[in-house]
Amino acid sequence: MRVSTSTMYDQGVQSMLKQQEALFKIQQQISAGKRIVTPSDDPVAAARAHEVSQAASINSQYAENRDKAKASLGLVESNLQGVTTIMQNVRSIAVAAGNPILSESDRRVMAVELRGRLEELLGLANGADSEGNFLFSGYQARVQPFVKNAGEVQYAGDQGQRLTQVTSSRQIAVSDAGSNIFEQIMDGNGVFTTSANASNVGTGIIGAGAVANPTSLTGDSYEINFHVTQDPLTLKDIITYDVMNTTTSSTVSTGNTFADGNMITFDGLQFDIKGKPADGDQFKVTPSSQESIFKTIDNLINVLETTTNDQSGKTNLTNSLNTAMQNLDQGIDNVLSARASVGVKLQEIDALQSIGEDNALQYDQTLSRLQDLDYAKALSDFARQQGLLEAAQQSFIRISGLSLFNKL
Amino acid sequence: MGNSILNIGVSGLQAAQAALLTTSHNISNAHTPGYNRQQAIQSTNIPQPAGTGFLGQGVHISTVQRVYSEFLYSQGLQAQTQSSQLDSYYTQIKQIDNLLADTTSGLTPALHNFFKAVHDVASNPTSVPSRQSLLGNAEALVARFQSMDQRLSEMREGINSQITSTIDEVNSLAKEIATLNINIQTTEGSTNGQPVNDMLDQRDTLVRQLSELVNVTVVRQDNGHHNVFIGNGQALVVGSQSMTLKAIPSPDDPGKITIALDAGNKTILLPEKQLQGGNLGGMLDFRQSSLDKAQDALGLIAIGLAQTFNDQHQLGQDLDGVLGEDFFEIPQPKILSIAGNSPTSIIAASISNAGDLNTSDFQFKYDGSQYTLTRLSDNASVSSLTAPSTVSPLTLGGISVTAATIQPNESFVIQPVRNGAKDIAVAVSDTSKIAAAAPIRSQAASTNTGSASISAGVVNPLPVNPNLSQPVMIKFHVPDDGMFDATGTGASLPAMNQTYTEGADISFNGWTVQINGTPAAGDEFTISPNTGGIADNRNALLLAGLQTKNTLQGGTASFQSTYAQLVSQVGNKTRELEVTSKAQANLLAQTDQSIQALSGVNLEEEAANLLRYQQAFQASGKVIEVSNSLFDSLLRI
Repeated sequence: MRVSTSTMYDQGVQSMLKQQEALFKIQQQISAGKRIVTPSDDPVAAARAHEVSQAASINSQYAENRDKAKASLGLVESNLQGVTTIMQNVRSIAVAAGNPILSESDRRVMAVELRGRLEELLGLANGADSEGNFLFSGYQARVQPFVKNAGEVQYAGDQGQRLTQVTSSRQIAVSDAGSNIFEQIMDGNGVFTTSANASNVGTGIIGAGAVANPTSLTGDSYEINFHVTQDPLTLKDIITYDVMNTTTSSTVSTGNTFADGNMITFDGLQFDIKGKPADGDQFKVTPSSQESIFKTIDNLINVLETTTNDQSGKTNLTNSLNTAMQNLDQGIDNVLSARASVGVKLQEIDALQSIGEDNALQYDQTLSRLQDLDYAKALSDFARQQGLLEAAQQSFIRISGLSLFNKL
Repeated sequence: MGNSILNIGVSGLQAAQAALLTTSHNISNAHTPGYNRQQAIQSTNIPQPAGTGFLGQGVHISTVQRVYSEFLYSQGLQAQTQSSQLDSYYTQIKQIDNLLADTTSGLTPALHNFFKAVHDVASNPTSVPSRQSLLGNAEALVARFQSMDQRLSEMREGINSQITSTIDEVNSLAKEIATLNINIQTTEGSTNGQPVNDMLDQRDTLVRQLSELVNVTVVRQDNGHHNVFIGNGQALVVGSQSMTLKAIPSPDDPGKITIALDAGNKTILLPEKQLQGGNLGGMLDFRQSSLDKAQDALGLIAIGLAQTFNDQHQLGQDLDGVLGEDFFEIPQPKILSIAGNSPTSIIAASISNAGDLNTSDFQFKYDGSQYTLTRLSDNASVSSLTAPSTVSPLTLGGISVTAATIQPNESFVIQPVRNGAKDIAVAVSDTSKIAAAAPIRSQAASTNTGSASISAGVVNPLPVNPNLSQPVMIKFHVPDDGMFDATGTGASLPAMNQTYTEGADISFNGWTVQINGTPAAGDEFTISPNTGGIADNRNALLLAGLQTKNTLQGGTASFQSTYAQLVSQVGNKTRELEVTSKAQANLLAQTDQSIQALSGVNLEEEAANLLRYQQAFQASGKVIEVSNSLFDSLLRI
């Protein structure tokens, strides 16, 4: 083929430019450390990298959220730990108060101590985080959740739970409404509560009882009225009782013979009465209702402050302490279950944390595979390209130096 | 006899001189663009009959011709115009490619930071610094949208001015070609039809230059004129006449420069589709297929983000306890009145559902009886016999035309997303106006004895129910019969004797809650305004969730994936153009090489010719010398 002189120059220059462009491209990749300098270098990988980087960014956001959730839950947990300690303390005081050798003034001393505990408990229930947000007020962070109103502690917060997004599909509650922890506690045994009339004069002490047959439960309130008559022959007291349903104002049974400590069973309920009730003594069974921890302790304080050391007073004390202890146990159970749920959440967060870290590593690897440069390959490409450019330059100089005109 | 030898010697001298001249001309034009090497064609003179036969009478130059192939030349035009088109498209789109570039610039990091800040507010709804950082990141996101859009608009401006200058160049080339047509005809006429090689080369070069700008077809006339047609057959040069093109603002869109034919008293718009090839074709193609689309895709993300974020934000409650306002200012559709519309004609259009939008433009038309809204990408349309109004708008694909004062046979073009990235703005400036909380909260009464619990409750999608903040109480019947009464102020309230189904949606006054578990007789649940609920982050969580939710393009794509689509589209197109433009450039180089192989000057060859004709000249000189000595010897006799 004929080659024109200008083709020789054009081609030489073109091939040098081409080599130079390739060399520049590799140099750009090396200096950026990336395989993809612009999306056109690998459009599919570039688009994918955008999506993976979003996933990675969200993942790291969730990790931050988990740290915050852990801090919040940790604060709640340490507060609830304090609450548990106080409640157990209160319970042991209640147990000690049952000691028959205590004088009225001894019990008043105990009541004073209980008042201190109550204030301490109130302080914990009104705990706040570093920003001054109350822990247990629901959504209303700046509203003090528990306020004393006419001697009674009332909940001013709401039942909202603050949630934190800890993974794409999981929101964890990092706060619990104070009403759940301190207020909504079923009294008695959780289904019904037994109590003795304060004006009872006998020594009858009613137990907490239990559900004997869940299917027969009515949810009604009952009264047990005792009658004591004398057997004209033996001159022994004959103790009978009537069971009245006060909700429907109907009689359940009458003239039942009472024996000390025997189970009294009706409508699926079962409890015992120990001791010897007097004529006209009355016991009540009502469905469990919600009572706050503060109320329980307050009631306990009242009992300790007011009970006298006569016979009926002692019976009353025992009955009241029984009730208080039942309610305290319910309260402690409630706080413990709240703590357990916090513990479970912390555990879950830890588990999610390690999954999140694995994911982060995966995303990093994917991103790196998608866009990072293989330096060994790039450097060897660079050296090869450099050689090619030098070869093109030298051959061009040789060829352009050859001319017949030089020989003329 | 001696005289005859002298004549032959002289003819040889003249021929060698002409050949030497041609060779020197070739040597000096070895690097002239468009030059075709020339050859002096020698032929023998008519011989003289003699008794002994025909005696040769020497040589003469019959013509000087250029070594030229019309076929190769046409191939060169084609290769050039296609290569220029691809090259110009590639140069332009490369800029967008660079703009979108990698994951650390572009829209992605701004989007990530913005949603990170939303998450931060969700984690610390009462924290002013967190809220401030959300506002700051929102401003940064908006600024990123705007700066990317600004860059694209600058490219649009650049295209406009390049089209204008290209048209000027086309016009001046056309004029020169027409002038050469005349000159070639007159010059050749005066030399008995001998070709004016250098002028022909010059004309071919001009046409070749024209083919860099736009596709060119050449039709050769018998009189030597070349008629030149551009694009898909628009005549540019006919004989000695050349047309004038004009760059004018498009009647559909004043911001867009398009091309028209200047026919004296009026201008005729040339359809852009017909102006293929060359730089011009590349630029038009780029503007239509890539620039508009990129700007639309960016606008779509901006509008989609603004709309969906606002919708959720309005369902929330801010720190002051009032419902959220607009967080972003939603860009409005760009409405273009077609040239020729009466100045009083006007329409109003708005975005009715950002989730249904795509990047297509719309046309609104009135034919005298029907008002029609057409989506230009797929020609889907809706029409009505009455003018659209706010009450009964014409709605299609996320766009609503809500008013129209329009004369028969007039039309408007609606570009719903073109200005999206430019016009998006942050509407909130006060940190307390960020609606992180939900406006309602639910509560179970402390006297409840059943095991039922109530969910936190969600606010139903827009529009917000006017009675949203009215408290509602749900109370279960005494005695228990599995039903409850809902009481309070609001539409369909009080609602008595509602059957309770565990976990079923209970919805009044624009909210929805669920009750789970077994309620006891007389149990009460209330839904009330979330007064003071500043630590509530329910709405912030929902806002943060928008990041990964498929809210765009009919619920198939998130903001990020829409952006990734844009990146991938532009990346793929750039890649494709990079490859095809390189291939086309190679083809062009090969064609040029073929042309050069045939017509190019080779200096070695010319050096050899120089020697050859030098020798021929010297030899002819010898012939004259011999003839002289023959004459002398006769005289000496």
